[in-house]
Amino acid sequence: MSAHLIAFFTLREALRRRVVLAAALLTLGYLVLYGVGVWFGYRDLQETQDGPPGLTEGVVSLMLVGGLWSLNFIASVLAVFLSVGALSGEVDQGTLHAIAARPVRRGEIVLGKFVGFTLMLAVFIGVSASLMILIVAVITGEIVGGSWAGPFLMLLAAMLLIGLALAGSSRLSPLPNGVIVFTLYATALIGGVIEQIGDVLESAVMFNIGVFSSVLVPTRAMWDMASAQLATGGFAGELSAGPFGASNPPSGWMLLIAFLHLALTLGFALRAFERRDF
Amino acid sequence: MSQSAAIYLSGVSKRYGDTLAVDDVCLSVAHGEVFGFLGPNGAGKSTLVEMILGLTHPTAGDIEVLGQPVGSLAARAEVGYLPETFRFHDWLTAFELLHFHARLARVPADARTERVPELLELVGLKDRASDRISTFSKGMMQRVGLAQALVGEPRLVILDEPTSALDPIGRRDVRDRIRELGEQGVTVFLNSHLLSEVEQVCDRVAIIDHGSIVAEGKLDDLLNAQEIELRAGEGAEAAARETLGEGGVRQVNGRLRVRVANDDETARLIRRMVEAGVPVYDVRQVGDSLEDLFVRVAERGDV
Repeated sequence: MSAHLIAFFTLREALRRRVVLAAALLTLGYLVLYGVGVWFGYRDLQETQDGPPGLTEGVVSLMLVGGLWSLNFIASVLAVFLSVGALSGEVDQGTLHAIAARPVRRGEIVLGKFVGFTLMLAVFIGVSASLMILIVAVITGEIVGGSWAGPFLMLLAAMLLIGLALAGSSRLSPLPNGVIVFTLYATALIGGVIEQIGDVLESAVMFNIGVFSSVLVPTRAMWDMASAQLATGGFAGELSAGPFGASNPPSGWMLLIAFLHLALTLGFALRAFERRDF
Repeated sequence: MSQSAAIYLSGVSKRYGDTLAVDDVCLSVAHGEVFGFLGPNGAGKSTLVEMILGLTHPTAGDIEVLGQPVGSLAARAEVGYLPETFRFHDWLTAFELLHFHARLARVPADARTERVPELLELVGLKDRASDRISTFSKGMMQRVGLAQALVGEPRLVILDEPTSALDPIGRRDVRDRIRELGEQGVTVFLNSHLLSEVEQVCDRVAIIDHGSIVAEGKLDDLLNAQEIELRAGEGAEAAARETLGEGGVRQVNGRLRVRVANDDETARLIRRMVEAGVPVYDVRQVGDSLEDLFVRVAERGDV
């Protein structure tokens, strides 16, 4: 098996090409900005003395969930940018010819890249989410963040996009593939909003459109599940409803659909890349 | 047949939509042979090379490489390949590139530590081992590409235009490497536009045009299938046609050009003319280089 060599190679390429450095610096800048926001927000919150019990924890939790929503977005964009040209782009450039002529299965190249990108995103989400929880804890004295399942669900959302982008990249050039993957990602996002509005208006059609978009690309559903895990405090449910999460988190079935989605996209990527002519 | 061949192609075709890029190619390259593969641009050379490497799948036909079905890991483990574009991941250093390919080629760790510096020295990049490939000139990239092709101690080396970016000294070095490989019993499949290069190192050549092999054989045999130009009296053309058949006899600038297979045929023709009472004033050989052969094939599709 050479998949681990390709995975390690993929990681090293990102480090060497300063992809990781650029992402780390930008995230650091974002975290500083976020810290300043939390500091002022928390100061204003302390001046409000007449709120119901549990308000402080609820608002702090919302601040964290909002921050993590942004991180989730950055992770999604990073996942797509990293993997959208990973196969076809390299075939077009000719850099994969010498590697694919080695005793390496095409599937190992696909899996190696998938694992490499996933590890990169795992480190990104793990480190930046931990720093964000730490920032909130230091400023507010409140340790919020709920279950560790949250960041894992964020990672799963990124993995879904990597799988989708690799499936496209096995056949399509980077540009059309990027357009398609981003459109699908946006469809899932918009679908989530439609689902929420449908829920409020009690419109079954709108609600079902949202559910369908989540089945098509379960990235938004993964975030909705993650935010439900991340939000804590008495008002968590109410406050997380809105742009940062669903009022009714998806059921456990959505997790199964997500894994099925991942299996399908990766399966397609493996099969299509195996058959591809260079 | 296939057991004794390093590369064996039987009825191989490749179709892209309506375009037939490779048409029913049968080819056999023996173990230890230095084989030259020639053809004009767009003739189907690269497609055929990619099919031999398992990078492109044939529409029809069978390919065996080192006695194994094409694309099998066992076959690929013993093949070294220098792609025409010699594009590698340029964020790697030369040393890292060779190490990575050695690992992919399943070279054991202790052999890797010996082999990589040896190869870097062989291609004259010992002093640049720690430099990133992005800082290399095209010629240096091609040289590191050659080292990469050799890193797995392959039994078959496929070189696609290995000297296109090299200066004359670099070309000579690569020719020497190819000769050495041949002497070591390594099969070399050389795809090149540089006919002098092929002429100097190859045992056998094949010429592909419009997806089909139009000439194949030992270089000496192919080059002996030459033309002679005669300045002779009346009746010469008729005598030539009578002796050698209708094909391959033509008039060029008032002189008679006749295609002959070898020197014996030339002697037979002249004897026949003399017997027929046709005066022969001058005979000279034309078209005795691989370049002429290549141009004839490329222009007219025959040999």
